[in-house]
Order: sequence, then C-alpha cells, then structure tokens
Amino acid sequence: MSIVGRSSGALGQARGYATLKEIQMRLKSISNIAKITKSMKMIASTKVTKAQRNMETARAYGQSANSLLSHIEVVQKEAANPLVVAVSSDRGLCGGIHSSVSRAVKRYMANHQESSIAVIGQKARNQIQRDYRENIIMHFDQVTKVGPLWLEASMIADQILGSKAEGGADKLENGGTIVYNKFKSVISYEATPLAVHSAETIAAAPKLAAYEVDDAILKSYEEFTLANSLYWALAEGYASEMAAKRTAMENATKNAGEMITKLTLTYNRSRQAAITNELIDIITGASSLN
Amino acid sequence: MLFRSALVAVRSAANFSARRLYASEAGSGGKLRLNFALPHQTILKDFEAIQVNIQSSEGDMGILADHVPTIAQLANGGVIEILAADNKPRKFFVEYLFILPHTAQSSSPVSGGFAIINPDSSLNINAVEAVAVEDLDAEAARKGADEASRKMNASGASEKDKAEARVEFELFEAVLAAAKV
Repeated sequence: MSIVGRSSGALGQARGYATLKEIQMRLKSISNIAKITKSMKMIASTKVTKAQRNMETARAYGQSANSLLSHIEVVQKEAANPLVVAVSSDRGLCGGIHSSVSRAVKRYMANHQESSIAVIGQKARNQIQRDYRENIIMHFDQVTKVGPLWLEASMIADQILGSKAEGGADKLENGGTIVYNKFKSVISYEATPLAVHSAETIAAAPKLAAYEVDDAILKSYEEFTLANSLYWALAEGYASEMAAKRTAMENATKNAGEMITKLTLTYNRSRQAAITNELIDIITGASSLN
Repeated sequence: MLFRSALVAVRSAANFSARRLYASEAGSGGKLRLNFALPHQTILKDFEAIQVNIQSSEGDMGILADHVPTIAQLANGGVIEILAADNKPRKFFVEYLFILPHTAQSSSPVSGGFAIINPDSSLNINAVEAVAVEDLDAEAARKGADEASRKMNASGASEKDKAEARVEFELFEAVLAAAKV
C-alpha cells in the first residue's frame, strides 16, 4: 500500500500526498527526534555555563602565563616549516566548530605550504586530511572527554616536544601556532591563532636581556608555556563547542517543531479528504438507489 | 626593622626615577601587582602585595616592588607566602605530582610552575596546583609519605618506580613541613 502511495506521488499529483499511515509514521518519528534534540539542548545548556566559567579561569591563566612574551616583545620566527596545532574534538552535532578550525588551518597552509600539522580531534582531522594529508605529523583523539584538563594539555605538549629525546627534531624549533575556537559569546565563536615559541626564539627576544634567567630555565619555560597555551586553547574550544552544540540543538528542535506543524496540517487535510470521499461515495450510492 | 627600611628604600627610588622616566615604564608606586593563577582557579588577580616569598629551583627569593625582572621556576613542594597591607596571612603550597614519562629520567625536576617579575613590577605566578597551607591534610600526607618510602625500598620495584616513589616521598615530606609551619 505504501509503495502504491509513493509511486502515485512520483507520477504526478493523481493521488496527492502519501497515505495517512505514512504521514502518521513520519509525524511520530519527527516528534521523537524533537524530544531527543530538546534534551540534548538542555544538557548542552548546563554544560555551557560550567564550561564558560572554566574558560574564564583558563583564559586568565593562559594570558598570565603568556604575558612575559609581550613584555619581552618576542618576534614570531619566520621559517619555512612551522608547526600548526589544530584544536578541535571528536564530537559531532555541534554546528560549524570543526569546519571553523579546519578552514583557518587551510588558509594558514595556503601561505605556509611546508608546515607540519598536529591535529587534536578526529572531526577536524578528517577535514584537514582531505587537502593536507602528508602534512599531518601527529593527531590526538579522545581529548576533552570530560572537559579540558591541564594534564591532557601537558601530555600533548610532551608529545609535541618529546620526540627530541628520541633523536628527532624539536617540533617547535621553527615556531608554532595553535588554532582554536575563541569563545566570544554564547552565540558566537571565532577561529583564532595563538603563537607558541621555542626557547631559542624567546632567548632572541629584544627585551629579554633585562631579565635574570638561565638557559635551562628557559627550556622549562618553553615546555610549561606550550602546555599552558594548549590548555587555554582546549578550554576555549570546549566552551565554544558546548555553546555551538546548544545552538545547533535549539535550531534542530525548532525545525522539527515546524515540520511537525506542517505535517499535522497535511495529515488533517488528508484525513478530511478521505472522509469527504467516503461521504461522497455513500451519498452517491444512496442517491442512485432513489 | 629590616622590613621598614626596605620599604623606605623602595619609595625613595620610585620618586627619583619618576622624574627621569618618560612614558612607557610607569613607576610601581612601591607595590607589587600580583597575578596568581592556576589552570582551574584564579587565586589572586591584580592584587597589591608588599612582598612575595617564593621557593624557586635556584633557592628562596623574596620579591618586593621594583625587583629586577626575573623568570624563576617554582620548586616542587615549595611554599609561596604573600604579604599584603591587610596583614592577613596567605601561604600556598605548590605541588605537581604527575610525572611525565620522559622526564622521570631527565635531570631537571618536574616544574611546579613559574614566577615572572616584569619591569613594571607586575608579578605573574602560574602554578599547576597550589593549596592554601590551612587546607593541607597532615594525616593524609603522613600516610602518603609512609606508603612512598615503602615503595622506594621495595625489593622488586624497577628503577623508574623507585624514582617516582622518591619524588612522591620528597613531596609528602615537603607537605608535612609546610603544614607544621
């Protein structure tokens, strides 16, 4: 019966819309979806408030940790193959979060073709892989499962710098940029770069001479600052993601609501048409007996 | 006595330099502007302190306004003491217990955080974890120290495990020392 309904729709408006039963099934499934997206929106809402508070603290921490760099007027090193760290996540259904970061990374890559890319988050990795697969040197999955943690940021920083211990080059020696979604408000975020510097670049800064520090400490400071900057980026990215998820779920619920309204009207019209047809049959039949 | 004369010295220096300096490096006015932040908590922001004592990897430091700009690494298990105009005691214990895989064998100790004094007398202290001394649990520290010394001296343990246990032991000892003071 449903096959008849569908093919008659394709052949033209002979039978009009699909059968009543079909519309009913569609209505039921859409209202289930609406319930799911509504509850996802509420969950995301509660997460947004907490994530925003964490983000404010992380931002204060990150800015404090990076303030030395502006005091010494460090200059970002111009090199052929710097490092780009794309900060995203594995989760879907959060609007344009991942494409925001991937687009920013791709724009950067257009001007720095030889850069190495480290990607945090599967979704962003899939998008960046399409154009720059060979440039991706490392990727991190399952990050920020419970929110941003300094421990995770520290471990990622360790991985990025750690290969020197195994005889590889320090990945930060040509300078680096972290690309993350900066949280601007509950309804807006923006992909933003954050510069990270190697100990050598910091040592070469014009105003560092005023400071008392020895080289071993600078190396420690480089590692510590990379971890702090990553933590800051993760926290902002997480807050932006929760806010975007909330907005996406809200829009989905609204759209589902609109579809339900439209379908209900269609359903009622079909139902009334069916009743009218039956009445016509009965009355014609009755009048033909007279 | 020493404290008062240090304050006087700082104030006269600020007056002297104010006449010769042009714009950018504004005088501190004799006070440190302290930002003390942790990843999950901002302890103090733009706080006016008179003196801050820290324990760095190079030794103990007492920081007053107009201190020479410095980048100091906080010692793991050190105490940060903040002296302010309101005379309220503020002491924080800095710890960073997690040991990263490749640094357990390296010679430099794991960083608990950094303290950076800038030319404009702003002091930024970033620590991974800092606990107010009043909140330290001496009992738990004692138990932890005993557990760690047991692990340290265990016969079957690997070198790496022993090294980790040693760092833990020293940290718990530092907690006990800080909690007593």
